[in-house]
Amino acid sequence: MSLIENRFEENLLTTKVDWLINWARLSSIWPMTFGLACCAIEMMAVGAAHHDLDRFGAGAFRATPRQADLMIVAGTVNFKMAERIKRLYDQMPFPKYVMAMGACATGGGPYYKFGYTVVKGVDRVVPVDVYIAGCPPRPEALMEGLMKLQEKIRNTSVIRKPARTA
Amino acid sequence: MDFQGIYDRLRAIEAPGLQGCDLPRAGDPEDKKDQGRSGDAFVLVDPAHWVDFFKACKSDEKLAFEQVVDLSATDPAKDDENFWVNVQLLSLRHKHRLPVKAILPKSVSRIASLALVYRAAQWHERECAEMFGITFDGHPDPRNILLPDDWAGWPLRKDYEFPKEYHGISCE
Repeated sequence: MSLIENRFEENLLTTKVDWLINWARLSSIWPMTFGLACCAIEMMAVGAAHHDLDRFGAGAFRATPRQADLMIVAGTVNFKMAERIKRLYDQMPFPKYVMAMGACATGGGPYYKFGYTVVKGVDRVVPVDVYIAGCPPRPEALMEGLMKLQEKIRNTSVIRKPARTA
Repeated sequence: MDFQGIYDRLRAIEAPGLQGCDLPRAGDPEDKKDQGRSGDAFVLVDPAHWVDFFKACKSDEKLAFEQVVDLSATDPAKDDENFWVNVQLLSLRHKHRLPVKAILPKSVSRIASLALVYRAAQWHERECAEMFGITFDGHPDPRNILLPDDWAGWPLRKDYEFPKEYHGISCE
């Protein structure tokens, strides 16, 4: 940093690096192949030709958490699965994002009252970035969720602010 | 064969444990409380002769029930003293079916396993065991099939209480 410090107008370089890295991240959000219930069918529809998730650079569904950036929790999460979800989430490399797709993953959905093994929202197990409403959500809703996530990534900063000197 | 034919045949071969049959019937128009009964006709079997009854059903030429289609249980009510164990038999050779029911006291909750007669009954019995707490004696592999191994309680019983938390995940 010291070589080019004070050569440009203030803050120019920092924002450009942020922009570049964010652009790279949001244009290649690779989701994990991971469907739990009927929402997965809609997710497959979004990945297929008609809705074409590849337009957002997010069509490369990876079969391993180690290559994935985004976990789309598409379906009902029960306690037996919740521990596996936690493990898969831990295996994903940073930066990682989670989308809760549909009513079940968001808050238990139709199983809220009488589903004795259903986790009432996947956010009790892993942190969630985007919630998508619907049962199951339309493909357009999933795409909007992805665009919201891109918006979120666009507003992050990879460079820490320097410590303030007295 | 229709149900009556199967029932007559079961009586003719003196199938062990056969206690009777129950047919659906219309309600009494005079008595408004009598709604009748819908659903299938079934035969009632004594749980003490459970396996012998199915062996007879399977080996008899005229019946030839070579498949078990379903095995489940019912908890009719909280204050009821019995479970029902329901089995659906199917014969592909003769194209007929037979619903079988055993009335099992909740205080006992044990019945012999059908797994040695019908291997297909294994998974059904495992599910039934974890959901209702019925022990199937002689089952070759009595693990849980759907629930986690350390699950407490039997979810499909009417007096089941929902868990408050499981492995640190709150259920409230």
